[in-house]
Amino acid sequence: MKSGSGFFQKLVIVGVLILIGIVLSLLSREFLTITNLINVTRQVAFVIITGSAVTLLMISGNFDLSIGSTLGLSGMFFAYFIPLGLPLGVSLVVSTLIGTVIGLLNGLLVVKLRIPSIIATLGTMYAARGLALVITGGNSLHLGLGPDFTVLGRGFVGPFPISLLITAGILLVFYFAETRTTLGRYAFAIGGNRRTALLSGIDVSAMILLLYVFVGTLAGFSGVLMASRLGVGQPMVGQGFEFDVIVAVILGGTSLEGGEGSVFGMLIGAFIVGFIANGLNLLGIHSFYQSILKGAILVGAVLLDRVLKERIRG
Amino acid sequence: MNANILEVQNLGKSYPGVEALREVSLTIQRNTVHCIVGENGAGKSTFIKILTCAEERSSGKIYYQGAEFRPRTIKEAMNLGISTLFQELNVVNQLTVEENLLLGREETVWGVIRRPDRANKVFQVLKDFAPDIQLNRRVGDLSYAEKQVIEIVKAVAVDASLIIMDEPTAALTEAEAQRLFEVIRTLKQQDITVIYISHILDDIFAVGDYVTVFRDGSVIGTRQIAQIDRPTLIKMMIGKTVSERYVPRQVDYSVKVLEVANLRTPKLTDVSFDLHKGEIIGFYGLRGAGKSEIAQALYGLDTILAGTIKISGRPVRFGIPKHSLRSGIAMVPEERLSEGLILKMPLRPNISISNLKKITRCAVVNSGKERAIAERYVKALNIKASGIEQQASTLSGGNQQKVVISKCLNADSTILLMDEPTRGIDIGAKEEIHKIIRALAGEGNSVIIFSSEYPEILNLCDRILLVADGRIIKEAANQELSAEELLRLITQVKRKKHEIG
Repeated sequence: MKSGSGFFQKLVIVGVLILIGIVLSLLSREFLTITNLINVTRQVAFVIITGSAVTLLMISGNFDLSIGSTLGLSGMFFAYFIPLGLPLGVSLVVSTLIGTVIGLLNGLLVVKLRIPSIIATLGTMYAARGLALVITGGNSLHLGLGPDFTVLGRGFVGPFPISLLITAGILLVFYFAETRTTLGRYAFAIGGNRRTALLSGIDVSAMILLLYVFVGTLAGFSGVLMASRLGVGQPMVGQGFEFDVIVAVILGGTSLEGGEGSVFGMLIGAFIVGFIANGLNLLGIHSFYQSILKGAILVGAVLLDRVLKERIRG
Repeated sequence: MNANILEVQNLGKSYPGVEALREVSLTIQRNTVHCIVGENGAGKSTFIKILTCAEERSSGKIYYQGAEFRPRTIKEAMNLGISTLFQELNVVNQLTVEENLLLGREETVWGVIRRPDRANKVFQVLKDFAPDIQLNRRVGDLSYAEKQVIEIVKAVAVDASLIIMDEPTAALTEAEAQRLFEVIRTLKQQDITVIYISHILDDIFAVGDYVTVFRDGSVIGTRQIAQIDRPTLIKMMIGKTVSERYVPRQVDYSVKVLEVANLRTPKLTDVSFDLHKGEIIGFYGLRGAGKSEIAQALYGLDTILAGTIKISGRPVRFGIPKHSLRSGIAMVPEERLSEGLILKMPLRPNISISNLKKITRCAVVNSGKERAIAERYVKALNIKASGIEQQASTLSGGNQQKVVISKCLNADSTILLMDEPTRGIDIGAKEEIHKIIRALAGEGNSVIIFSSEYPEILNLCDRILLVADGRIIKEAANQELSAEELLRLITQVKRKKHEIG
């Protein structure tokens, strides 16, 4: 919410991002170039798209581990339908809707069957990944996709990459949803105090279900975008994606218990993760080290935030 | 040895905006059963919390066993020999009786638990108090009364000299209560003093030696049980000075806004009553009597097994509170912190949350209108805050409660359920809230008060319904009931007849 600590949190996170940017541009000449920054942005686009909805879901106090598998499954289907004769646009929509269905399933498991969200989405995470493997036999799908398959992921409108325009659009919609609409307000209310939200006349179950549907849909769409960028449908794509998104959301100041967080913070968090990966690549440091650094930054940033907050409160 | 186990001098405790205890002084004699009575909010629980070190005192001195008592942690207080039997029992259901008795004091070799020594005092004590409880039974399978005995045995075995019991018979049957009294009498012979807190005056006359009456955070007096009778005790609990008084009001008895007939839920039996336009009715009963359950059933929070609810003559069914609000029923819930407010949020969204529809177009909240609504209620209800963006958690109890009431008023309801509307807030804010309630009814709204504070019920309500054991046991107009009568009826209610699993 627009409380003092929320603003402060954003200041800290933006500061961290700028600091990383300065350090990297001092260490590597290539870092601060337009080409490289666009490159980073295209890499984090998937995290930002899915993360936009995941932020609201986590603000409501819920969790989704299945987004990486959903991304893989939808991307796989996008490449799977086209050789069967489905037009590109139809395949795009249907593949994205497969993500919607997984989101709906997650929501129903959590809301109707009252399975804790971590368990429910861990289940669908395994099942969706397995389904992608079963359908493809574990192979990549790259035959008969046609030249238009990669337009979404690699194409441009004027000087702008299509994928970035879409990312910016989705980000803005969810930023607006968070700050100005009942969807955002109810997510904060449910995460802040579920019982109070229920007693205040919010249909808590319906809201959580809706948030899961949004997350599934955007994870599915990210999968389509990813397949288009790679030019291939791969059943194993997106492993670990769920954690990239969760790290970005948490770096962005969203509390694990819910009730706090912001889409804007998630955006900065996604770039922190993106900058580090990109910078280390530029410096020729092996990607194994990236994982260590990612972990350290996550814990360090949350710690820093807490220490500073406690100091301010005295 | 000192004849007094506990001496309390000028004990005070204040919370932001509330003085919970004021200049409390009392003396508790060794090896007696000392009862403490008083209405909810009289300061009994705060007193106990300070003794057990769950809360810090603001002022005053306590002498325990002749020495000044200044423990810093709950553990330290326990080590000094003070044990407390809370209503929420502190046993581990998954473990056996034996494991529970030894919990935290197991003898181990390299972390491996040794077979317990049967000569351990705790087993002797269990034999004395309850020879029929077998050591290898799972505590989860025992009755509530048996679990209580396990806790008492544990306390005796660690040489407690003072055992505090908080409403110990609330969940017991008559027979179980009698057995507990036997246990308490045995405790006295074993050099143990008991502080016994209860609403049930029968219990106090059955088991007590002394009784101290608390009212509004002060001690009214201490008497020997043998030298006091029930009416005198009730008079001490009530006091004489009442600043507020019920004034008969004009109610339109021709218009029924709410009709409840033979309502049955898992915790209620055959609840029937009517509510008229502009009327304030009050449900009075002890904690756990079923008042809150009536509110919850009317607010879509409980399964309704049988019976009908009609609003303005039309039958209704609520699945969730959203439906109740749509039918014009709003609720101020019992627990304002965990049910009424979203503490991390400022006042503004806390007030608007129950009726965002009014200020929303295409899911977009009109923030100008939202601010205006919040400002209006802050002014109308005299909420003391730095502004509408102040975080709800930083307000005093009375102002928090006014925010919850604002939220309900903003829902544009004509029927208002208020569960313990002034619990834990200071007298000034209390009277202000009562004034608001009367004004609402004056405007043609109907209000149902659920309260365990009888002055509130007597000052506000046109009609009073007494609740016990999930039933309405009496209904009367305000003028037909005196405070004495009300307390007499409610404190002599028979305990639950059925056994509790």
